[in-house]
Amino acid sequence: MKVRAFFKSAKSGGQLVICSALIAALLVSCEKNSEIKVYRVSKAPLEESAPQQQDAMPTNTAAPRMPSGLPPAAETAVTTPPNWEPQPLSQMRQASFLVKGDNGAVADISFVSLGSAAGNVLENVNRWLGQLGQPPITEQKLGEIAQSLHTSLGDVTIIDLAGLPDNADPARDGRIIAAMVTTTNSTLFFKMRGNADLTEAQKGDFIKWVAAVCNAQTQAGPRQMAAAAPQTSVPQIKWKTPEGWTEMPSTSMRYASFSTPTDDGGKIDISVVTFLGDGGSDADNINRWRGQIGLAPINASAVTSQVAPLKTDDTTFSTTDIAGDKKRTIAAWTRRDGRVWFFKATGPNAAVEKEKPNFVKFIESVQF
Amino acid sequence: MLHKLVDLITSLKLTIFCLAAAMALIFAGTLAQVHLGIQEAQQRYFQSMFVWWPPEGRGLKIPIFPSGHLIGAVLLINLIAAHIKRFRFTWRKLGIHLTHAGLIIMLAGGLFTDLFAVESNMRLANGDTKNYSEDMRATELAVIDTSGDNLDQVTAIPGSALRRNRVIDHWSLPFRIVVRNFYQNSRLKMLSQAGESAQSIANQGPGAMIAVEPAARATAPDERDVPSAAIEILPKEGGSLGTWLVSDALGAPQTFACGGRTWMITLRPSRYYKSYSVTLQKFTHEKYAGTEIPKNFSSKVTLIDPERSVNRDVLIYMNHPLRYRGETFYQAGFQPDDSATFLQVVHNPSFIAPYVACLIVAAGLLVQFGFHLVGFSRQRQRAIA
Repeated sequence: MKVRAFFKSAKSGGQLVICSALIAALLVSCEKNSEIKVYRVSKAPLEESAPQQQDAMPTNTAAPRMPSGLPPAAETAVTTPPNWEPQPLSQMRQASFLVKGDNGAVADISFVSLGSAAGNVLENVNRWLGQLGQPPITEQKLGEIAQSLHTSLGDVTIIDLAGLPDNADPARDGRIIAAMVTTTNSTLFFKMRGNADLTEAQKGDFIKWVAAVCNAQTQAGPRQMAAAAPQTSVPQIKWKTPEGWTEMPSTSMRYASFSTPTDDGGKIDISVVTFLGDGGSDADNINRWRGQIGLAPINASAVTSQVAPLKTDDTTFSTTDIAGDKKRTIAAWTRRDGRVWFFKATGPNAAVEKEKPNFVKFIESVQF
Repeated sequence: MLHKLVDLITSLKLTIFCLAAAMALIFAGTLAQVHLGIQEAQQRYFQSMFVWWPPEGRGLKIPIFPSGHLIGAVLLINLIAAHIKRFRFTWRKLGIHLTHAGLIIMLAGGLFTDLFAVESNMRLANGDTKNYSEDMRATELAVIDTSGDNLDQVTAIPGSALRRNRVIDHWSLPFRIVVRNFYQNSRLKMLSQAGESAQSIANQGPGAMIAVEPAARATAPDERDVPSAAIEILPKEGGSLGTWLVSDALGAPQTFACGGRTWMITLRPSRYYKSYSVTLQKFTHEKYAGTEIPKNFSSKVTLIDPERSVNRDVLIYMNHPLRYRGETFYQAGFQPDDSATFLQVVHNPSFIAPYVACLIVAAGLLVQFGFHLVGFSRQRQRAIA
């Protein structure tokens, strides 16, 4: 047999065996998952999910848990006063508002949920006092100033603290009204910090809101609160698709997506994207778009000169037109009902110029 | 010299030695699970080249016994080499050849499964959609560049790299990460509850209010480690952005700015992203009437794959997994209040090997014993005649 003869030859056989051994050694020595990986993933919606419960995948710790990108339950489930402007949510905040008063006075309102081990009342009160440049207080003193608000979630402790840190702006700081309640799974913090007079004026609304959020949480339950996927809460809007535009499958990130071919065989990519909050400043967004077509960032005043309003039957859009060496982006955006809507078209310079009238018609046809 | 090497590698003595060593290893590895837990024991005794002594700590380590990978590889080479060397095809030996071929496929399949199979979990509450699964036994430090318009860029640094390297310098990051502390398992407590002597290992973010206590490795099957680390962020252009506590127990990523971009960091179970998503429509948990004994549990999911224009409902239940794009979704568990399901997601390129191997071995044994049976019958008939 040829194979056997080949193997009987000591030299060939030896080489074969050594090669086999080397291959096997290489295979067995490579460690799984030891390399740093770099990849891109679509932004938010698919990431949103209910937080894991400790008893589901047991851990051996009683560690504090923080919210993992939960939807703004307090913002959506509870009615807030009309002068409370919704703000973009950070990783910590489940709800965030800004109230504006006279003479530039502002107050910042937030709702944060931490693990049940997020500290006792005194420790947090002393932390807030420190933020206002005030000395810490004792348990006895706390007992004198703390008030209690009865809700279906339990008794909420309400604290009203005054003080102005060194070099602070009295229009923006000077008082903290805070509320906290600890349940079996979490500690909820509500906080209003800002101008002393404005904070005083908003105190009634703030306490009503705290009570409403606490009551809503017991009605909805924490799981429902967490599981309300943002996709389901996205309002439906209508538009008229221009001729020649092909609708592409929407993705987790894009509310809608279109494509239209260019004369040179390329394409213009048109996207409709929406986020909760204000979606960042115009300067940040425009500079990001500039970066995407190879242009350097510009300062905020230059950004203002590049934004033009576009009034439609339904609303007023901000628009911009950014042309790079080869690519061009035209965009329109509007903020309404605590949400921002971006409409953007990017493609080769000449093709975008040709398609611009269609894009404008598209924006004008949008109905919220 | 080469003759001797070939003789050694093809010798039956080596086969016997490997089999005996494998028996001893399985015995020792099984006992070790009592103290180390299944995962750690598998890692030390079977998924490595040698069993080392001492098992913990830095410094000199001595290999004291061949481990699973080495024994398996030597046995595989020995089996193939011996078979080639002594191969002489005759119909009468067809059964033996088939049986050996089946064993080779089984051994090779086992090795490939060990090397390339990935097991992970997907936890879905009713209505949840996910496009990734998580390996609850592996950790990664995810450093996420959130500046992109539509996409986040994730740099996933495996936990093993955090353990090994004090400084992590990667092209995708405009900063270096210096690992100040790393705990394979830990408990987190608020500083106020951790006692007067407790100190925070971080000075930025919520970690500055948290004390970290090292804990013994989790060994029970229903426990898992809670890794934590203190990492300092050093921008490449100079300066420091402080030391941050990252831990699997901190639910939310932490945010900072560097190089004109916004970054998020989080220590989390290793993720495996997919080009499709799975939505849990309904989890059903049936019990035998009047008892708490499970009768059946199943997950109705919707599979959506835009690339392949797939949008279909699938029912996953015991012994009826979903197989899609090389991955198998098994019904693995559920949350005690039935509010969520756990799917085990297995990616195993060589999953077919054991089935094929068993069929070939069975065919080989059938042929071999068939020959003997026919020969025996003929002899008997002749004797009677």
